[in-house]
Amino acid sequence: MNDTFEMILASAFQLFLVLASAPLISGIIKKTKARFQRRRGASVVQPYFDLAKLLRKEVVVSPVASWLFRITPYLVFASTLVIALLVPTVVTPVPLHWIGDIITVIYLFALGRFFVALVGLDTGSAFGGLGSSREMSIASIIEPAMMLAIFTAAVTAGSTNLSIIVARLSSTPVAMLNPAHLLAFSGLFIVTIAETGRVPVDNPATHLELTMIHEAMILEYSGRYLALIEWASQMKLMVFLALLSNMFFPVGIATTWSPWALLVGSAAFFCKIIVLAVIVAVVESTNAKLRLFRVPEFLMVAFILSFLALILFFIIGA
Amino acid sequence: MGIIHLSTIGLLIDIFAAAILVTAVLIVSSRSLVFYIRLFALQSFFLGAVALLVVLGYGETHILIAAFLTIAVKAIAIPMVLTRVIERIQVRKEIEFSINITASLLLCAGMVILSDSVAQSILSSQHGDAPAVSRVLSVSIAMMLIGLFIMMTRKKALTQIIGLLTMENGVFLSGLSITYGMPLIVEVGIFFDIMIAVLILGVFVFRINKTFETISIDSLRSLRH
Repeated sequence: MNDTFEMILASAFQLFLVLASAPLISGIIKKTKARFQRRRGASVVQPYFDLAKLLRKEVVVSPVASWLFRITPYLVFASTLVIALLVPTVVTPVPLHWIGDIITVIYLFALGRFFVALVGLDTGSAFGGLGSSREMSIASIIEPAMMLAIFTAAVTAGSTNLSIIVARLSSTPVAMLNPAHLLAFSGLFIVTIAETGRVPVDNPATHLELTMIHEAMILEYSGRYLALIEWASQMKLMVFLALLSNMFFPVGIATTWSPWALLVGSAAFFCKIIVLAVIVAVVESTNAKLRLFRVPEFLMVAFILSFLALILFFIIGA
Repeated sequence: MGIIHLSTIGLLIDIFAAAILVTAVLIVSSRSLVFYIRLFALQSFFLGAVALLVVLGYGETHILIAAFLTIAVKAIAIPMVLTRVIERIQVRKEIEFSINITASLLLCAGMVILSDSVAQSILSSQHGDAPAVSRVLSVSIAMMLIGLFIMMTRKKALTQIIGLLTMENGVFLSGLSITYGMPLIVEVGIFFDIMIAVLILGVFVFRINKTFETISIDSLRSLRH
């Protein structure tokens, strides 16, 4: 009984952490970008106000929209929350690590993407369909790239369970410098940029019809639906940054629930996440968006990097 | 020897070898002539680093000169000459392909697998414990294949040079990995050879551009007219 209670408490902590800090990470990226453009930029807590405002606003639904349109925001939000439960952030192993491994995470992302793409088609607007088709063609390249990158970490640790990968790696620090590992990291970094719709692939800040991908699909959403989808994509970014930092450099991650370990773990985690977020912002500020037909080439580089990582693991060995 | 632990040397060699392979693959993925040259310079720099590590780890001092020559000639002098050529001929800096980038990258992945299986069969005939550096043999074979592939599928005269030089880097790396480098006199000979070859090829590119107003090798067929 006591065990169950502790597990629920720990899971709630993990959920709360991701839910509450995801908008902050997005705010930090926006602020860094603004600084690069020599603007002062909105405060880093602005995304919280945006979400609060959207949650209060009225929802407008097109009369031709079906039930898919109404359930998708909840579905996307919920699937992202489940992923947030599975990815180690401050502590490893996460309390519910037995409910699914890394393949579950990949497919939960795919589930959310599938429904968002359907909704893009659902309302019958021209932009929605355009966004869906682009999203799916990009996804067909980044999903294998992501799998290969993650499998490289998985073969290093000898398990596909994220918590076990992180725990094994944090006990053998030399493995972090393995070239296969470094390559897989760079592959997954490109995947992160593509998955979260960041600049060389997609631009999260505009609604320009020629370039938008993610924004095109959710163009019809408003009010609390939009809030849920935005929040889910902020959490997705956070989860990806957590994957990048903990699966490849699990330095300082807590392995027990003692207060001191938690404190060190949280400090290390947020330092790593913020550094990665700033790197993402720098990449966004220093690169022009790629022409859509060039995007597959860029993503192919991610695929090849991850692929080489996996081959190098066998050539050079652990 | 002895200052740095051998396993550290092995790890660093692995990292630089991986970096060399990545630069070779990135050359295939790039579209601009300037990138080709920069990536090649980076690749030669990493190669020089591997050679230096072999000196440090295995005490083969005769490679020291080859390592410095690699950095001086291939990472600095040749890229400078080639950049000069590009500036002078003012061609369109975009590369033309006969196989597109996506397919090229997939083929490169295949070549890496192929070269690994070849390298494994070579190494398995070796007796005793293989030193860390012999693990990069498959990287070096992959680089020779990728260099040949660049020469075959990229249609600028300058990309031919880069392909040739990538192959040469692969040869040097395989020499390092199997026998800790060739005798010094051979290495020095190769460096002069490469340097002169690049100079002459640079002049050739210049002349080709003057005659045909392009450095695309497709138009070389019209030489007889």
